[in-house]
Amino acid sequence: METMNKLGRILLVEDDPKDVELTLTALEEYNLANEVIVARDGEEALEYLYSRGKFKTRSSDNPAVVLLDLKLPKVDGLEVLKQIKSEEKLRMMPVVVLTSSKEEKDMVASYKLGVSAYVVKPVDFHEFVNAIKELGVFWAVINEPPPGSVRK
Amino acid sequence: MALSKLQLRIVQSPVLRYGLAGASFGVALGLALLAQRYGFRNVEVPLFLFAVAVTTWYAGPGPAALVVVLSIAFFDYFFTEPRYTFFVTSSDIPYFIVFISFALLVARFSAVRRRVEAQLLQARDKLEIEVAERTQQASLLNLTHDSIFVRNMDFLITYWNLGARELYGWAAEDAIGKHSHELLQTVFPAPVEDIHAELLRTGRWAGELKRTTAQGTTVVVAARYALRRDEQARPVAILETSNDITQRKRREEEIQRLNQELSKRSMELEATNKELEAFAYSISHDLRAPLRHMAGYTELLQKKASSALDEKCNHYILMMLDSAKRMGNLIDDLLAFSRIGRAETQKTLFSLTQLVREALSEVRQDADGRNIAWKVGSLPDFYGDRSMLRLVLVNLISNAIKFTRTRTQAEIEIGCADGNSDDLVVFVRDNGVGFDMKYVNKLFGVFQRLHDSDAFEGTGIGLATVQRIIHRHGGKVWAEGVVNGGATFYFSAPNPRGHLWKP
Repeated sequence: METMNKLGRILLVEDDPKDVELTLTALEEYNLANEVIVARDGEEALEYLYSRGKFKTRSSDNPAVVLLDLKLPKVDGLEVLKQIKSEEKLRMMPVVVLTSSKEEKDMVASYKLGVSAYVVKPVDFHEFVNAIKELGVFWAVINEPPPGSVRK
Repeated sequence: MALSKLQLRIVQSPVLRYGLAGASFGVALGLALLAQRYGFRNVEVPLFLFAVAVTTWYAGPGPAALVVVLSIAFFDYFFTEPRYTFFVTSSDIPYFIVFISFALLVARFSAVRRRVEAQLLQARDKLEIEVAERTQQASLLNLTHDSIFVRNMDFLITYWNLGARELYGWAAEDAIGKHSHELLQTVFPAPVEDIHAELLRTGRWAGELKRTTAQGTTVVVAARYALRRDEQARPVAILETSNDITQRKRREEEIQRLNQELSKRSMELEATNKELEAFAYSISHDLRAPLRHMAGYTELLQKKASSALDEKCNHYILMMLDSAKRMGNLIDDLLAFSRIGRAETQKTLFSLTQLVREALSEVRQDADGRNIAWKVGSLPDFYGDRSMLRLVLVNLISNAIKFTRTRTQAEIEIGCADGNSDDLVVFVRDNGVGFDMKYVNKLFGVFQRLHDSDAFEGTGIGLATVQRIIHRHGGKVWAEGVVNGGATFYFSAPNPRGHLWKP
């Protein structure tokens, strides 16, 4: 498929396995799930981004987009975001906060740290699928990622 | 004083003075002549000298001179040889000198005496004036409500006014001569030596003292010390003025206690608020996630299995999805409601007319396909949190749209009712299904609904939100309604202090 070739890699940072499953299902529905790396907490996400630990041998290019939950074990989402934005090699990489929380202070903090988008996961699955699809299509297909990102 | 005046008058009246001179001289001459007649010798000189002395002493120099001249003349005439002539012999001269010298001597004594007497009188008058002044001052000191007492440098009380008696309960006679701090069991706010040193250095000291009265009660006084020094600048006495501040002190302590309590309460409140915030956050995060999963998996199930399921089972799935959605709405509304309670209000003066216009455009899609006659009256300026007030209007107007759904011709009026001068009153009136006034108290409660959710959907939080916002603005909300006869919702708020410029 034409689109398949242009798909960017997505880093999904999400601790809840059900959310992971539903997100992957939503991405699959639109054939966007072939290049999704799942990190189950903030530390794992940072290990991936810095090519540390079990990701030592990963290819050196950055994902096209990071879908980041805020409430995460070990290192929380805002801290991950902060580290991404303060690292020269990573700061240009688009990060989308994908969270359950509509809390204003989270939103403000995220935007202050330079997040690309802030999406509240809709309760309605239909809307959720739509949101994930649109996110996947926009960031992994439509958006031209910064140099150094992988695009097949 | 009266006596000295009388004496001055005798001395100063010329008639009396010369009368005295004539009389004393007459008596002396008469007695001398009488003595001569009966053969007494040498009594005339003492008699004339006596007359000279009396006149000089009491009548002054003029009459004295007169008596001296008369004495010399008549002594020469009656008692020296040749008798019965005014012829003067050399043997008379010593007598004349004696008379004159005697008069001068007596005059001198008299002058000295008079001067001393005058000084004495003056001193006495001064003393009397001073006594009068002091008495007046002392009685003035007694008039004041402040307690005033004087003690010497050995702390012994030397003066004690009525105010001191009233304050401490001791009478002046009980207090005077006593050691002041022993009598009053004074408790000082600082070491006594420091206070004493300051008093000696600056001449004054002021502070709060705790004392015990004669009745045994404790009083707190605001005391001021003033040091009195003598001409050699040696400290001699301490004047202490004090007034009772026990009540004030008690009130101050009470205020302090209340303040402490208040700050403790507000700290508790803050902690509770923080907890609530954490709770709300947790609801928003943790409660929504499983709900989303339920909805998600149910929908996946529906997608995969709906063709294999019968109508009933598909209906069950629909109901599950519907409930999940409703639960999601409830959580969202509850969060919004709790956020209103926690959020800071940012008050500005704004046009309510403009805000109603915005609210109407926000709820327009609810009114799509409906036949609604809108009536918007003239509205005042409003001082408050604009976004919160917008929420109030949106809630009230969308309620009006919702509950007039059964009307073929809906009428919704938004206007300003007559309030008093302090408050403005805004209302939203509709001709919808209304409500029974019996349940009016339930209208504004959280999750309270007067209609079943089949007929009119909703979470039952809208009016609770309206009430919370209006309460936060210092206003009131109330409603009037008739079953099937429409409803009117009112809210009041303090009149803004200023006015917007209108083109």
